[in-house]
Amino acid sequence: MLSALSHLVSRIRSIPAIACLCLSIFSAPAEATVSQPSQSDVEAVYLFDFGKFIRWPAGSDQGPMSICVAGAPSFSTGLEKVVANENISGRPLEVRRISRTEDESGCAILFIDTTQREHADELLQAVAGKPTLTVGDVPDFLSHGGMIQFQLVAKRVRFSVNLDAVNRSHLAISSELLKVAIRVKSHTPEGAAQ
Amino acid sequence: MTVPHDAQTISGRITRMNLLVSGSVLILAVLAFFSYDMLSFRQSLINNLRAEAQIIGANSVSALTFDDPASAASTLQGLDRSPDVISAVLTTDNGSIFANYGPPDDAILSGKHVLGKEETEHHWLNGRRLLLAHRIMFEGSSVGVVYISATLNEIGQRARHYLLIAGLILLLCMLAALLISSLSRKLVAQPIASLAETARSISREHDYSVRAQESTDSVEMSLLTEAFNEMLQQIQLTESALRKSRDELEQRVEERTAELLAANRELEAFSYTVAHDLRGPLDSITGLAYLLAGASSQLDPNSREMVQRLQDSTKNMSLLIDDLLNFARASVTPVKHDDVNLTGIALRIAGELRSLEPTRRVDFVIADLPHVDADAGLMRIVMDNLLRNAWKYTSHHTKACIEFGAKLTSGRMVYFVRDDGAGFDPGLAGEIFQPFHRLHSKSEFPGTGIGLATVQRILARHGGEIWAEGAVEKGATFYFTLPTGN
Repeated sequence: MLSALSHLVSRIRSIPAIACLCLSIFSAPAEATVSQPSQSDVEAVYLFDFGKFIRWPAGSDQGPMSICVAGAPSFSTGLEKVVANENISGRPLEVRRISRTEDESGCAILFIDTTQREHADELLQAVAGKPTLTVGDVPDFLSHGGMIQFQLVAKRVRFSVNLDAVNRSHLAISSELLKVAIRVKSHTPEGAAQ
Repeated sequence: MTVPHDAQTISGRITRMNLLVSGSVLILAVLAFFSYDMLSFRQSLINNLRAEAQIIGANSVSALTFDDPASAASTLQGLDRSPDVISAVLTTDNGSIFANYGPPDDAILSGKHVLGKEETEHHWLNGRRLLLAHRIMFEGSSVGVVYISATLNEIGQRARHYLLIAGLILLLCMLAALLISSLSRKLVAQPIASLAETARSISREHDYSVRAQESTDSVEMSLLTEAFNEMLQQIQLTESALRKSRDELEQRVEERTAELLAANRELEAFSYTVAHDLRGPLDSITGLAYLLAGASSQLDPNSREMVQRLQDSTKNMSLLIDDLLNFARASVTPVKHDDVNLTGIALRIAGELRSLEPTRRVDFVIADLPHVDADAGLMRIVMDNLLRNAWKYTSHHTKACIEFGAKLTSGRMVYFVRDDGAGFDPGLAGEIFQPFHRLHSKSEFPGTGIGLATVQRILARHGGEIWAEGAVEKGATFYFTLPTGN
């Protein structure tokens, strides 16, 4: 698992790939030199990766893809590093910090962290029915109508999916993503979700 | 005919050839099929592994992306259904092991076979294993690599099957070759053997009119038979031409011989008549010369000498006529069969010679020999001539020895008359027996030159032979033989 973490680290810190290859194959001493990534670093990477498993409805799948962050400034700074020079299905990525409900429009992905838990309902209300993937690490995020909720399981970042919420916003979520989710909340059987 | 000990029959060779050809073709074919099968088997194994790797890769994208090794492991577990797959390893993009199925391949653990950064797929042969690496791509970037290791044991199994099948076919080939050889014995070897038998019987019986039976089995055999028969035809023609010319030649020789014999007989009859008719007038001359010599007191010395020479001449002529008559008689009179005592004849002649010239010192050594079957009168002429010659040619020596004897040489009796007189030049030994041919002058040794020719003729008429050995002043030996049992 340490090696898997180092894999993540490499992606976060852009450590040269060759060095990684040399260090990573069963080289325990190398692990000691790598500091464990923080929960928010991992969440930033996953946020970006979710974009690859989601299909937006026609009309909202053109132009730059906006990842809106309602939370700590350090998170958005970390996310900006992750998405720099990246694209998903040819769409360039941009990170927007939002504080209130005024500028949530056009967000492909909306992330709400614990610092914004009081505004969570408000924000979710604002994007309801719009093609925006809502992700948060607020507890009970799913029961408040959020789509993906990060959770720490045995010190590892995992996530649960509210398939009903996803379906309501006309987003298509890949079964591959559901496969690795720890829990999928759905009224309909899991197999039918798409 | 001699046949070498290690000679082989044609059918045996054909059998061996069949086996060799079919065996090598089979082995080559099996090798070719096996190689092709191995290649295609390997290729299909690679294709299968590639498909597996692609499926696993596609199903492991989310597990790799969201760091869920358990999910990846359960995906890898799906390789259960592939019996060839021994192990599989899923690594992250930077090469660390993420999940595995079965014990990881040593080659992956040791980093011996690692997919290069730029490669999307590669496979290695690692002993009895095939290792395939496939890069997992998602959204245009690499998320990890799947390594699948499969056993090649099936190749060994297939090789055993091929060997078994090849062995069975080879066995069948051997049976077929034996069958073919027994057929070929009938088709090939038998016609050749019968041809050889024909050839042998022809060379044994010299009957060139025989022809080999035309074979319809094969073109080569009928060509061979045809050529053989043509050759026989040629031999037959040549042989009959030879026989014809030989017969003609024989006939011509016979004719000539008969002509010659007739001419010779006429000539001999003529000379006999002449000699015989000369005797009458000569007797008158001899008688008149005798009367004239009786009245020699009335003649002058000159005339007396002439009468003496007349008497000598008539005596010589009388001898010559006697010899000529003997010679003619030896040719003409039939040979009688008498019991002849050569020793007795020799002793009698020796006595006569001694009484003629009692002053000469000559030793006669005459062996006591068994009687022979010959013409007594003719054999007397033979012995008379040989002993008289010996007496004559030793006359210039004060002491001489004349020997008559015989010795058994290579199964026949060889008689000889030997003297130690004047002898002759050995180079002229062949001319001695020719009529009127003399090796010494008449003044040295008187003679007519017919004696030895007469002897040779008599012995020839008996079926015997005569030859002479000698050297000048070393004496001469005359050998003669008579056929035994007639």
